[in-house]
Amino acid sequence: MLRDITLGQYYPVDSPVHRLDPRTKVILTFLYIIAVFLVGNLWLYLPVAAYLAFATWMARLPAGMMLRSLRPMRVLLVITFVLNLFFFSGAQELVRIGSIVIWREGLLNALIFTFRLIFLVTGSSILTLTTAPVTLTDGLERLASPLRIIRFPAHEMAMMMTIALRFIPTLIEEADKIMKAQTARGADFETGNLMARARAMIPLLVPLFISAFRRAGDLAMAMEARCYRGGEGRTRLHQLKYGRRDALALLSMLALYLMILLPGWLA
Amino acid sequence: MPIVLEQLSHHYRSCPRVSVALEDISLTIHDGELLALIGHTGSGKSTLAQHLNGLLEPTSGRVLVDGEDINQKGARRRALRFRVGLVFQYPEHQLFEETVFKDIAFGPKNMGLTGQQVDQRVREAMARVGLDFEEMKDRSPFELSGGQMRRVALAGVLAMQPRVLVLDEPTAGLDPRARDFLLGDIKRLNQEGTTVVMISHAMDDVARLATRVAVLEKGRLVMQGSTLEVFSQQERLAAMGLDIPDGFKLARRLRQAGLNMADHVHPEEIADALAAAIRGGGGDAA
Ligand SMILES: Nc1ncnc2c1ncn2[C@@H]1O[C@H](COP(=O)(O)OP(=O)(O)O)[C@@H](O)[C@H]1O
Ligand SMILES: [Mg+2]
Repeated sequence: MLRDITLGQYYPVDSPVHRLDPRTKVILTFLYIIAVFLVGNLWLYLPVAAYLAFATWMARLPAGMMLRSLRPMRVLLVITFVLNLFFFSGAQELVRIGSIVIWREGLLNALIFTFRLIFLVTGSSILTLTTAPVTLTDGLERLASPLRIIRFPAHEMAMMMTIALRFIPTLIEEADKIMKAQTARGADFETGNLMARARAMIPLLVPLFISAFRRAGDLAMAMEARCYRGGEGRTRLHQLKYGRRDALALLSMLALYLMILLPGWLA
Repeated sequence: MPIVLEQLSHHYRSCPRVSVALEDISLTIHDGELLALIGHTGSGKSTLAQHLNGLLEPTSGRVLVDGEDINQKGARRRALRFRVGLVFQYPEHQLFEETVFKDIAFGPKNMGLTGQQVDQRVREAMARVGLDFEEMKDRSPFELSGGQMRRVALAGVLAMQPRVLVLDEPTAGLDPRARDFLLGDIKRLNQEGTTVVMISHAMDDVARLATRVAVLEKGRLVMQGSTLEVFSQQERLAAMGLDIPDGFKLARRLRQAGLNMADHVHPEEIADALAAAIRGGGGDAA
């Protein structure tokens, strides 16, 4: 039951995108998000779509998988479209049904906003699909490390994220086991009103927390036994290095920006 | 209340790949027996245990309890769980209440018994596992020793008074004294009429308690029979990476040393046979 949840949707194949430095991919994703927000004209989504298709192809990701990342968003997408369609007034009437009017501007806006969401979600999912969670936190740590000057605990944050990611599957498994054990004693997690269900969670949550604390204690002990003392002076097993590949990827992003911005400048 | 497994298969589907945990298992658990389920880690023992009270649904095949298919539509699976008690591995990890009393009372309360009946059930269950009611009832289960916690957890299942008790590696991680206590409790329960299915890696425990043994390998039921029949086939068991009880090892060594010694389930029987042989009397040894 609980095991069906997949977290960290990493898609493990070997591709040039997978091999990019995680920092490059974070920066690219960041730039891509800004690019999508810069689009204010439906036509300009064409270069964005082309870029996305190119990146998907380079990353050897099945297109179906990209579309699937939209599934949890489908309600939000519909709401965005409908709200913009009906609650945006303009000058040019398109359709009139009784007292409800759909304006041309409303339709354009609805399309722009909906596409924006679609492109944001699919585009940023490339980052998590092509980067293993631990590599990703490694990259984030390195990107945030200049912030150490203002006492931002970059290493500690990254270590926390790595540990959390590592233990999510373990805790899910544990929750599954405890749930079954309580079900074997007649616990009922599925029926009853909200209050009854909340109360039914106690026999699951208490043992789960106890086990999480026990694991945390054990892990802390094991880390200390191996002389872990935070990030100070710690060297790394996997050195991150920018390569030519990273430069090319950044250039491709520059091309996308040119395609989006040039029409505006020329006009 | 016999439990019959008919061509039971179970496949876990964890997204991309499907792992076959049980394949075509046909097995009957008879009333009053103490069946030991042995097999290498990952052979499907725990999966099988969870089928006995309907916690998992078979991929194919049927589980009949008292002749009734427990996975058919409209089967009352919650009521079934009170009749087939399942004690998971490391059951002390599932304790959650503030006091020992409340934790043991969880099952009986779920059965919808009255306060008085629950109280009675808890007293009985605690007595069964050798916990003193007055001394222990108000203590927090989390301040007890490992062995005591395990007994509280076992009492939590016994308080439902199941007719069949399924135990998944009940002695794992216990010190020898706590283990002996627990095995004694299990044996007594079985003698008083509870059917017991015990999963175990400790072959000596199996030899001490079991009336019958079933062997799983890679999700298949490869052997079943009396304790004597199963453990006499040492080569087959060794090929699966399974040990045999000390008594069987001893008899084997004695045979290798030239004595005519038959296999015995209990080491005491070997001792007797050996003593008889030394005295020059009968027995199998000569
Ligand atoms: N919840 C689960 N999801 C996926 N696979 C599982 C799950 N539980 C067990 N398995 C797999 O099923 C097989 C049998 O496991 P299990 O019944 O726990 O064996 P045993 O108790 O004999 O060690 C193993 O290969 C195990 O990896
Ligand atoms: Mg197991």
